[in-house]
Amino acid sequence: MPIEREVLMEVKNLRVEFKGGSKKPFVAVDDVSFKIYRGETFGLVGESGSGKTSIGRAMVRINEVAGGEILFKGQRINGLISRELDREVTQKIQMIFQDPMASLNERAKVDYIVAEGLYNTKAYQSEAERKAMVSQALLAVGLLPEFASRFPHEFSGGQRQRIGVARALVMQPEFIIADEPISSLDVSIRAQVLNLLSELQQQRSLTYMFIAHDLSVVRFITDRVAVINRGQLVELADTEELFANPLHPYTRSLLSAVPIPDPALEQAKVIIPYDPLGHDYAVHKPLWVEVTPKHFVLGNAAEIKEYRQRLA
Amino acid sequence: MEEQALFVLAERDVADAERSGYSDYSYWGSTIRVFMKNYAAVFCLGLLIVLLVFIMVQPYLPAQRDPNEIHLSQETFRQLRNVRPGAEFWFGTNSIGQDLWARIWSGTRTSLGIGIAVASWNVLIGIIVGTLWGYVRKLERVLTEVYNVLDNIPSTIIMTLIAYMLRPSISTMVIAMGVTGWVPVSRFIRTQVIIIRDREYNLASRCLGTPTGRIITRNILPYLVSVIMLRFALAIPGAIASEVFLTYIGLGLPLHIPSLGNLINEGRQLMMIPVMRYQLIFPSVVVSLITISFYVMGNAFSDAADPRNHV
Ligand SMILES: Nc1ncnc2c1ncn2[C@@H]1O[C@H](COP(=O)(O)OP(=O)(O)OP(=O)(O)O)[C@@H](O)[C@H]1O
Ligand SMILES: [Mg+2]
Repeated sequence: MPIEREVLMEVKNLRVEFKGGSKKPFVAVDDVSFKIYRGETFGLVGESGSGKTSIGRAMVRINEVAGGEILFKGQRINGLISRELDREVTQKIQMIFQDPMASLNERAKVDYIVAEGLYNTKAYQSEAERKAMVSQALLAVGLLPEFASRFPHEFSGGQRQRIGVARALVMQPEFIIADEPISSLDVSIRAQVLNLLSELQQQRSLTYMFIAHDLSVVRFITDRVAVINRGQLVELADTEELFANPLHPYTRSLLSAVPIPDPALEQAKVIIPYDPLGHDYAVHKPLWVEVTPKHFVLGNAAEIKEYRQRLA
Repeated sequence: MEEQALFVLAERDVADAERSGYSDYSYWGSTIRVFMKNYAAVFCLGLLIVLLVFIMVQPYLPAQRDPNEIHLSQETFRQLRNVRPGAEFWFGTNSIGQDLWARIWSGTRTSLGIGIAVASWNVLIGIIVGTLWGYVRKLERVLTEVYNVLDNIPSTIIMTLIAYMLRPSISTMVIAMGVTGWVPVSRFIRTQVIIIRDREYNLASRCLGTPTGRIITRNILPYLVSVIMLRFALAIPGAIASEVFLTYIGLGLPLHIPSLGNLINEGRQLMMIPVMRYQLIFPSVVVSLITISFYVMGNAFSDAADPRNHV
């Protein structure tokens, strides 16, 4: 991999808030920064409610950004942007949703669902061309073109998720956010969808942000991983580095909980609990520090020193 | 025989396997099929169709009388008042000698017309305002304020005021019921829209840059067909009941325009005399049949229009 890679997507000090009535807003994402390079698969892991989806949705501009910036190829895409940029971003950034049972319009035929983005960007000259694009997208995800005339409820979960992938692909995107795309699928078809995503990435040189809470999947599919806890990134590194040298106690705890496919080892496994009060942040606030090249971790001066020693 | 020859791998075509096992589903086709399985509803639908056709052709049938003609006795030249139902006057006559049969069907025409007009208006405006209120966040504040104002004025008072100020006529009736009748419908629709507006399939559409108008027509309203139909079905008898109420408080249609409202009102005044109760019973039966039929049908249709019931 070349040293100077193109940054496709950059998130800078992102903050996402949800206002519940008149109370003070709930901060779902707090001061999160990371870069995603062209062609890679960037993983975002954390437990349920940690803010993964909120980040993804801010990047596709469904969630409002309360602070910070989101840059696509160096251009800010949150807040007010020009019409051309809006069009470009709508086309180039796509999302695959968590729950295929909820993410397809039940009252529309697959033809409309897959072509929806095409209608919006008018990316075709004739009805015949549009139909051809839909057929191609369906074939690309391993579905039959004649499925276009059917309704979503006639399909299984795995097929529905593939329809969701087709709807994203037809836009010719460069960057796809996959929000736990397999977590609500049957175990038997998870690999199918994962392999499909990998194949598509190679064929079309796509960049992915892969959101997950299942670390074994993350290890299999991602190049770099960021770990998020309660709306804050705690650690970010190349996947192998992170699995080999987890530094932050939260990451260690998360890794210790991964099931091992060996009963003997699994039985002997010690799960490390994570205690957020274990940090002494009363005086020294934690900072986002690059401990070793490309390995970032959240910690105060004392913690960082300890992490560096451990790596040495 | 060689073992190899015994065990030959069967040909398997994955595409072929996927192709099988699907039906040709159509939303409206399935809706009608499920509806047709509900015999009570089909019966009510039949009843309403028969009633509708009948009131349309009734004036042109042989031996029909003018609903406003006052019938006089051939010998005495006095009004044939309160003649009981029989061969001459099938439903009898009223207190000034008008033919009740003719008046009831004429009244049904009027009332059903008012009911359908008011229900269509209220549901249409209710849908438009309700979807904008529920989906377009910029309009949310304004429409909520408007709603609070309108909702705090009892609709009976508005209805009564308008019916009082304008000359009583069919259009006055429709206006009186339509001025605020859409308000509760819009609130209902808004609630439904809020329930589904942030479902993932709508977020997906927003990601793809689908304009709000198309999200409303393709994503939101199709999901509300069943509740809207129920609302509409109940709004028709609702408007008929309002007409009866306005007549009761003296703001109804003039007597030369028969309606179920003024027929019931006339009948009510004679309620205490047992032999004259037919004058109340006939129009009441018509109102009840209409109300019950729309209710049963509306519920059945709303169930049928819910795809979860399309097994
Ligand atoms: N629309 C919303 N309104 C209010 N609070 C929200 C909203 N969306 C998310 N939240 C809150 O923000 C926090 C982060 O939610 P988010 O969906 O980003 O978590 P997640 O990491 O994706 O979790 P999961 O693994 O369960 O999908 C949660 O506490 C959630 O309750
Ligand atoms: Mg999520």
